[in-house]
Amino acid sequence: MSTPAAPTRFLDPELLARVGSLELLARTVVEGFMSGLHRSPFTGFSTEFTEYRQYNAGDDLRYLDWRLLARTDRYFIKKYRADTNTQCHLLIDTSASMNYAHASSVTKLQYAQFLAASLAYLLNRQQDAVGLVAFADKVHTHVPARNRTGHMRTIFGNLSLLQPGGETDLAASLHQLAEILTRRGIVVVISDFYDQPDRLGESFQHLRFKGHDTVAFQVLDQNELDFDFNDAVLLLEDAETQEQMPVLPDVVMDGYRDRMRRHVDDMRTCAAANNVDYELLTTKQPLDFALLSFLSRRAGK
Amino acid sequence: MSFLTPLFFLGVAALAAPILVHLVRRTRARRVQFPALVFVRQVPQRTIRRRTLHNLLLLLLRCLAILLIVIAFTRPFFSGGSAARDNSAAGATVILIDNSLSMRRENLFAEAQRRAEGALDEARNDELIALVSFDKRYTVINRFLTDKNRVRFGISSLGAGWDGTDYEQALRGAESLLSEVQTTGPKRIVMISDFQMPGWSQATATFKLSNNTQLTTFDVGGNNPPPNVAITNVEARGVVFGQKYLDNVVVHVSNFSDTPRDHIQVDFQINDQTVEKRDISLNSRDSRVVEFTGFNLNDGTNRCTINIVAGDFAPDNRFYFTLRRETPAKGLIIENASRGRSDSLHLQSALTTDDDLPFTFALKSAGSVDPASIPEYALVVLNDSGPLSPTLADALTRFVNGGGQMIVSTGPRTSPDSFNTTLQQISPVTLREAVQTKTGESVAITQVKFDHPIFEVFQESGRLASANVIGYFRSEPRQNASVLARFEDGSPALVEATTGKGRVLLFTSSLGPSWNDLPLTPLYLPFIHQMVRYAGTHEENAWYGLGQTFTVGRKQEAGPPAIDTPSGARLSENRVTPDGDLLVTAREPGFYRLRYNAAPGFAAVNSDGAEGDFTKLNFGEFMAGITGGAGSAEGAEANRNLSGEEIEGRQRVWWALLLVALLLLLAESFLARRTKMVKMIG
Repeated sequence: MSTPAAPTRFLDPELLARVGSLELLARTVVEGFMSGLHRSPFTGFSTEFTEYRQYNAGDDLRYLDWRLLARTDRYFIKKYRADTNTQCHLLIDTSASMNYAHASSVTKLQYAQFLAASLAYLLNRQQDAVGLVAFADKVHTHVPARNRTGHMRTIFGNLSLLQPGGETDLAASLHQLAEILTRRGIVVVISDFYDQPDRLGESFQHLRFKGHDTVAFQVLDQNELDFDFNDAVLLLEDAETQEQMPVLPDVVMDGYRDRMRRHVDDMRTCAAANNVDYELLTTKQPLDFALLSFLSRRAGK
Repeated sequence: MSFLTPLFFLGVAALAAPILVHLVRRTRARRVQFPALVFVRQVPQRTIRRRTLHNLLLLLLRCLAILLIVIAFTRPFFSGGSAARDNSAAGATVILIDNSLSMRRENLFAEAQRRAEGALDEARNDELIALVSFDKRYTVINRFLTDKNRVRFGISSLGAGWDGTDYEQALRGAESLLSEVQTTGPKRIVMISDFQMPGWSQATATFKLSNNTQLTTFDVGGNNPPPNVAITNVEARGVVFGQKYLDNVVVHVSNFSDTPRDHIQVDFQINDQTVEKRDISLNSRDSRVVEFTGFNLNDGTNRCTINIVAGDFAPDNRFYFTLRRETPAKGLIIENASRGRSDSLHLQSALTTDDDLPFTFALKSAGSVDPASIPEYALVVLNDSGPLSPTLADALTRFVNGGGQMIVSTGPRTSPDSFNTTLQQISPVTLREAVQTKTGESVAITQVKFDHPIFEVFQESGRLASANVIGYFRSEPRQNASVLARFEDGSPALVEATTGKGRVLLFTSSLGPSWNDLPLTPLYLPFIHQMVRYAGTHEENAWYGLGQTFTVGRKQEAGPPAIDTPSGARLSENRVTPDGDLLVTAREPGFYRLRYNAAPGFAAVNSDGAEGDFTKLNFGEFMAGITGGAGSAEGAEANRNLSGEEIEGRQRVWWALLLVALLLLLAESFLARRTKMVKMIG
């Protein structure tokens, strides 16, 4: 696997937030990301044949056309196009908890939109069908997976209209989606995953039983990990339930970090147990990391 | 427990600061939306509660430290009652209650009575208690008793008086009382007063308490005495002889506060009729003099009052005095006009130019005077009268011995031998030879007793020495005679002597221009007037101070008159002099009415003007002065629990409080720092 370019080349999500069009944003991210790779290890993992070319020393022998070699005694490498039979559903959590940004101007939901747009563009570029599902306590937006001209515009349009609100019942939503998505494919879940890992494990298992490859992106604000407040006293309000709680940050900080770390560890364990690709992202991280992580994991499959 | 400076309790308001900070910080808690509240909720709340308690502890520490500092600044002390009670033998206590005029303001005296009863309650049941009230004098209400109820009754029967304050006198009396008691227990004086400055002066203080006497003080006057404007004095001549009062009535008005006062109205009333009003302003701690003159007086005694409208302490806003207009007595000038030339022209002129002289004079030659008529006169002036007939000389001798006044001047017609012979009994001097200076030379009058009433008006100018004397008699003063002035050679010029009930003034030069140029100088008129006034003076004050004793003459009546006090009570004084005059001690301010049959008389009595000065005594100086001062180790040791300040100095309560406050602040600082460090490490 090739090494990504220097981080300074990556686009800060806060800069991306200034780009008005999700399509332009996605193209900027993906093209920039792709041009930075020395050699694409991902071309050809789908099944559609495109052309032959003469074998050169060092080419992977897996792609050598043995039958042509037998017939003509010449060495040719078979090249394939992306497999259009694969469909990918992007699942975005739009609950109120996703509308959080501490030191950044990018909320978790915005970051999820950027990420979803970039993934959609990348998948579309590979001729995969892309669908979109947005949910909070239940599914409220569902764009079926297509690979038609103009579908991307539908995806980006729906993405840009997503608004935060409502409580999350992530496990229930995933169970619901497992029933809705009848055709096997890739399911990318973008959420803060504030649910019990046991319940999530069951929903991941449900998706797996339905034959889906599941990728989980847990998007968090850095301050959700650090709990770094300068105030002596805070009145914390739950974004979803509006419950208020007075807190002394310097007192609570240690306990909170410990519990958050345990939750992330549980999530990671839960994902691994259910064969789910899990990646923790913060809204400060450039989207390239997410794309690289996604592609490298898919390449390994 | 008492406090020397209770005003500092206002500092308790500073407690609001940490509480406000605490509350403000609480209310400033920022509301933040946070998605992961579920994890915050899982943090054990006891940690937060502990932190809250921690903050409350810090708040309490801060508040307690401030409170202790405030209490330390109020300088608390414990009264010495408990110390006395701990001793095995019962002691003796003198309770001194100030009932001076200043205790009439507000409820000071009631408070003093309450404090006295408190001191009484603190005393042991077998302790000897004496009750003494004091102003400028002290009055023993109860000698030493163990019956608290009787002392309590004595306290309740007391009331504030009218007189000034003298702390030294009161302490002197209290210690004198204590010296009568034989006890091995502690001897204690409890002094209850408003402790005003005029009551004690370090400059004049002479009394100190003995070492084994403890002094406890209760100040009921408060630390902020009210402002007060008072009439402190009125200067006036009590007796006049003309209808119009030509001298000045001088009124002294003082502002005893630190606040300037404007538009204070000064009213002058005679016999309840307003004569004149003035409007004055006074700066802080200022005194003004207001003068009234040129008003008319009725015959007899006129009741005069000065009132100021100041709206403060009323008793010192009115001042009483009397001005008595008397009919001038008869005076006789005897001269020698045998040659048809009178040397009394200037003298006669001088004595008739002023209608305020105590005499009206007739001029007769020595030969024309009927000796039998001499007793009709109150003053006889022998003006170089020459030899007198023996009968006239005898009449004059009887006149003087009976109380008559005489002024004698010599001159060229005076024969020393004849003078010495005929007037030997009454003359202040024995005349020797006559001295005539050379032509063009003269002698001056020197060695003048300017403190004498005759010469006091010349004290400032000193111009008496400018008179040129060319002739005089050398003389030898007789025993008991007083030389009031001398010539340059030391020979007596003016000599005074009393004989019998009368008095003789002798001038050894002439009162005419024969032997000197005095009649031709401006000195002559005041010199003659002063001599005549001096001869006609009989002491009568325009007013008396409280506590002063004054004489009420019986005049032509059989006995002294009945007297009504200012409050209307009939006076029961029975101190009568051998001459039949009554001695009256002034006890209350106002007019004492003297009920003569012919016409009533009045005597004015006033409180001490300084009593209106409520300024606080310098307590440190007072205690040091009364107890012997801090320099006396023996005295300091013996006078344990002497006063609030002494107690404070001994027990160092405020030091202890400050120390504890400091420790609390250190603890607070430590806890606060620890909290901060925990936060930083986190």
